[in-house]
Amino acid sequence: MQTMRRNRLYWATPLLGVFIGLAYLAAFWLGGRPGDGVIGLIVMLAFTGALMLLGRRSETVQGLLDHRDERITGMDLKATAVTAVAMILAVLVGFVVDIAHGGSGEPFAAIGAIGGLAYLCALLFFRLRR
Amino acid sequence: MTNRVRELRLAKGMAQGELAQALQVSRQTINSIENGRYTPSLPLALAMARFFGLTVEGIFDADDA
Repeated sequence: MQTMRRNRLYWATPLLGVFIGLAYLAAFWLGGRPGDGVIGLIVMLAFTGALMLLGRRSETVQGLLDHRDERITGMDLKATAVTAVAMILAVLVGFVVDIAHGGSGEPFAAIGAIGGLAYLCALLFFRLRR
Repeated sequence: MTNRVRELRLAKGMAQGELAQALQVSRQTINSIENGRYTPSLPLALAMARFFGLTVEGIFDADDA
C-alpha cells in the first residue's frame, strides 16, 4: 500500500512536467505559433528527463520526487515558502511600480488577490483539520 | 538534542545506508540525525526506537529542555 503511494508520488512531478509541456504546445498552437509550442514542449520534456536522470544519482532529487524522506520533504516545503515570499515581494513591487507609473496595478493586483485568497483558504483548511 | 544513533548503528555493524534503507529514509537524513543537525519526527523516532529495541528516550536526549 505504502509502496503504491510512493510510486504514484514519484511520477507526479514528471507527469506534471509533461502536462505543462503539452499545455505550452496547445497554447502556442492556438496562438498561431506552433513552432514555439514544440520548443516549449521539448524544453519541458528535457527538464523532466534531466530531473529523472538526476533522481537516479542524487538522494535529494530522489527524495523531492518520491516524498519518502521526511527531512527532504521538509526542505522542499521550506524552499517553497521562500519561493512564495520572493513571489509575493515581486508582485508587491510590481504593483507599486505600476501604480507609480499611472497604471491600474494589473495584473499584479489580481495575482496578489489570488495569493491572498489561497493563503486564507489553506489556513482555514489546516485550522479545521488540526 | 543529543542522540545515540551512531553508537547504536555501529553496535549493530550497520552502514548509514543500511540503516536508512531499514527506516525508509535517505542516507543523508541518517547522517544529519547522527550529527545533531536534524531532529526526526515522532514517527521516525518511534521507528528508530522499535528498530533498536529501545525507547525513544533511550536514543534521544533533549538536553536543552
